[in-house]
Amino acid sequence: MSSSPKTLQVCRDCGGGAPIDAHFCPQCTKILSLGRHGDYFAFMGLPRQLNLDGAELERRFRTLSRQFHPDFFYNATTAERRASLERSSYLNDAYRTLRDPIARMQYLLQIEGLASSGPAEATKQVPPGLLEEVFALNEELDEIRDLRGRGVPAEEWQGRLERAREPIEAKRREHEAQLQDLAARWDAGGGPEVLKALRDQFLERNYIHNLLEGIAREQNS
Amino acid sequence: MSKVVGIDLGTTNSLVAYVKDGVPVVIRDRSGDGLVPSVVSIGDDGTIFVGREAQRRLLTDAQRTVYSVKRFMGKGREDIQEESSHFPFRVGGEGALRQAQGDPSDESRAGVLTIGLGDKAFTPPEISAFILRELKGRAEAFFAEQGEFDNEVDRAVITVPAYFNDAQRTATRDAGRIAGLEVLRIINEPTAASLAYGLDKRHAGIIAVYDLGGGTFDISILRVEDGVFQVLSTNGDTHLGGDDIDNLLIDRVLADAPSAASGSDPSVVSGFSRTSEQIQEIRKAVIQAKIDLSEHEEAQIVAQGFSPAKMTRAEFESLIAPIVERTLGPCRQALADAGLEPSQIDEVVLVGGSTRIPLVRRKVEDLFGRTPHSELNPDEVVALGAAVQADILITGNREMLLLDVTPLSLGIETMGGVTSKIIMRNSTIPATGSEMFTTAVDNQTAVDIHVLQGERELVADNRSLARFKLRGIPPMPAGLPRVQVQFQIDANGILSVTASELRTEIEQTVEVKPSYGLTDDQVEQMLMDSFENAEADFAARLLIEARNEAENVIHATEKSLRSSDIDAIEKEELAAGERKKIESVLAGLKMVLNSSDRETIQKWTQALNDTTRHLAEVMMNRSVKAALAGKNIDQM
Repeated sequence: MSSSPKTLQVCRDCGGGAPIDAHFCPQCTKILSLGRHGDYFAFMGLPRQLNLDGAELERRFRTLSRQFHPDFFYNATTAERRASLERSSYLNDAYRTLRDPIARMQYLLQIEGLASSGPAEATKQVPPGLLEEVFALNEELDEIRDLRGRGVPAEEWQGRLERAREPIEAKRREHEAQLQDLAARWDAGGGPEVLKALRDQFLERNYIHNLLEGIAREQNS
Repeated sequence: MSKVVGIDLGTTNSLVAYVKDGVPVVIRDRSGDGLVPSVVSIGDDGTIFVGREAQRRLLTDAQRTVYSVKRFMGKGREDIQEESSHFPFRVGGEGALRQAQGDPSDESRAGVLTIGLGDKAFTPPEISAFILRELKGRAEAFFAEQGEFDNEVDRAVITVPAYFNDAQRTATRDAGRIAGLEVLRIINEPTAASLAYGLDKRHAGIIAVYDLGGGTFDISILRVEDGVFQVLSTNGDTHLGGDDIDNLLIDRVLADAPSAASGSDPSVVSGFSRTSEQIQEIRKAVIQAKIDLSEHEEAQIVAQGFSPAKMTRAEFESLIAPIVERTLGPCRQALADAGLEPSQIDEVVLVGGSTRIPLVRRKVEDLFGRTPHSELNPDEVVALGAAVQADILITGNREMLLLDVTPLSLGIETMGGVTSKIIMRNSTIPATGSEMFTTAVDNQTAVDIHVLQGERELVADNRSLARFKLRGIPPMPAGLPRVQVQFQIDANGILSVTASELRTEIEQTVEVKPSYGLTDDQVEQMLMDSFENAEADFAARLLIEARNEAENVIHATEKSLRSSDIDAIEKEELAAGERKKIESVLAGLKMVLNSSDRETIQKWTQALNDTTRHLAEVMMNRSVKAALAGKNIDQM
C-alpha cells in the first residue's frame, strides 16, 4: 500500500500497519485500539458532506455498532475490550454529531479549520444586514419589559412580542435558505470561498437563533 | 461451567431468570412461585430472613423488617426525610446509628445512608445484597435439582430503572459484589423488557415501553431494526410507583377510621400513633383491595382491627389520578427528545405490576392512541430480558444488540455554581466527553473538580456525583497547564474519569470520592462481613425449611379433617379421642409455627406426623378400596 505514514495506524497487538479508517487489523483481524483515527465522516465511511443520506447514516451506525459494541467483547482480552469501548464511544459521538444538521455543519467547519471547537458559536457583533431589525427588536423588548414591570396583563403585550418576533423569524428563514444553497454548492465540490461564505452565514444564523431563543424566554417567563 | 443469570431487583418483588436452549425462563420455587418479595427481616438472634418469610414478619416484627429498599439506593440522608415516616424501619445516616451503638462514626461514610434492622445498621446495598443472595441461592438450588454438574451462580446481569442516576447504578453494582456476584452488566428495565418482547416478534419499528413498577417509573422510546434495539430517549421518575398508591390508600383508611386513641391528632396518622404492625396490616389490606379493583368495580378493605371499608373503582381512580397524571409529563418529554409525535409510535409495551390498573392502561392508550401490549407477564418480562442480555454477553450471540442511552446530562461545576454540561442526556452509551482545566495561581499542583448529573442550570439543583482532586500537575505559571479530563460513561451507564496534563503528558491521579456511594474498600469489607454472616444465613435457611415442612403437614392434616366422610371415618375406624388429639396437636403446631425456634417447630411437626399416621392410613385404604370398587363396576 502506498499510504503515507499519516494515513496509517499501528495495530498494538501484532505491530502491523493498518489504513487510518480501518477498524480491524488487516493482518491479525483484532479490533484496533483508537490511536490515530479519521474524522467522524471518515470513521463512519461517509463522504465529508453537509447533506447526508439520513437512512445511510443510520444503517452505518447500526452496522458499526454490531462490530464494536462491548457486548461482543466480553470474553476478549483486556486490550480488545478497551479498544471496543473506545471505538464504540467514538462511533456514538460521531453519530450524535452527524445526525444533527447544525452540529454537523459546526463540525465540518471545525475540521476544515474554519471554526473553533465547542458549542455552536455565533457572531458577537450584530450582523450588518440585521442592524435595523435588531435595533427595532431591542426597542420593542425594552417597552414590553417596562409594561410587564408595571404589571400590565400578558394578553396586552404577548401580541406585540409575537409581532416583534416575525421579522427576525423571516430573516432566519432567509438565512437557512442561503445556507442550504451554499451547502449544496460545497457538496458539489465548491472551493474554500464557498466554505468561507458558508461560515459567515452560519455564524449569523446562530446569532439570529440566539435572538429567537431570547424572545422565547420572554414569552415563557 | 458456572451459571449466569439475569436478575430483576425490584422495589416490591425480585426475580431470577436464565436462558435455556435459547429461551429465557424464570426460575421458580417448588410451588411455582417466581417472585421473591424484596423484603428483608432480622430475627432476635440476628438471623436474616428474605422474601415471603420476611414479608410475613412485617405483620409481627415490622420494625425489624425492611421493604422497598430500592428507593434508598444511592440516596443521601436528606433525600428521604419526607418519605421515611411511611416506613416502620429506622432510616438514618451512618454516624447517627453507629453512635447510637456506641461506635464512633467514621467520617468517610458520613454521607452514606443506613437502615436500622434490630440493633444492626446496614447500607441499602447491603440490604439489597441479602435479596440478591437469596436469588442466587434459589438459582443454585434449581440448577442442582436439574442435575447440573457445576451449579454455582457467580455472574449476573442486574436491571435498574432507566432513569437511575450514576450513584443509584453504582449502588446496585455494589450490592451485586457484596452478594458475591460478578455483575456482568447493569441494564435498564424498559430496554430489558423490549429484549424479551423482541424474541418472538422480529419486527422493525418504534416502540414505547411504559414501566410503572412498585417504586419507579420509566418511559423509553426505542427504534428496533435489524435486531438492533436502539433507545432514542428515556425519561422517568425514580420516585413514583405502586408504593405511592399504597401510601395514599393507607392515609385514606386511617383518616376514615375512627381514631384508636381518643382525640388523637389526625395529622400524625401516617406516623406512629398506631403500631407499625397495624400500619402493615392496613398496607396488606389496601394492596389486596388495589389488586381486586383491577378486576372488579368494588372492593373491600379488610384489615385486622379495623372495620371493613368499601371502595369503588371510581373512588380509587379519582384518588390515584394525580399519580397516573405524573407519568404523562415524562412520556411527552421522551417523545419530544426523540423528535416524535405520539402517532409515530408503532407499539406500546406495558411493564411493571402497576400497569395492571385499568386507569393506567386507559391513560397510556389515550396518549399514544393505540392499545398497549401486555402479552408477557408484566412482573416477569424484565427478568427475562436480563437473562437474554446475560446470554448475549456470555455466548457472544450477535443476533440482538441493545444500544441504550444515558438518562441524565453529565456536567461539572464551573464558576458561580453553574453546571456546564459535558455529555448530554439521551446520548447513546458508551459515550465520552472531555473538558480542559487550568490553574488559577502560579505553581498550583492540584485542581478540584465537582461532577454533577441533571438538567438544571445551577449546581445546587443537580445531583452531586463525586468530587475529584487532580493532583500532580507540574508547577507552572498560572493558566499554563492544560489538564484534559476525560469522562467515560460505559455500557452500564456508570462514569469513570481519567486525566492528563497535555504539555507534559503526565497522567494525573484521580481520587474518586463518591458523594452518596461506597468506596471500593468499603464494598470489599462488606463482602468479607457477608461471609461471616453466612453461618447465620445457613441457620435462617434451616428455620425456613422447618417452617415449610410444618406448613405442608398442617395443610395435609387440615385437608383430611375437612374431608366429607371424616365423621364416618371417626365413627367406624378411629379410636375414641383420636380426632380430638389430632386437632389439639394441630393447634399446637400452628402456635409455634412463627417462632424462630427451629427445634420446637420440628418436634411439633414430628408429633403431628405421628398422630395423623393412622388417620392417613385409613384414608388411603378407603380411597384404594373406592378406586378398586369403581374398577370392578367398570369391568362388569
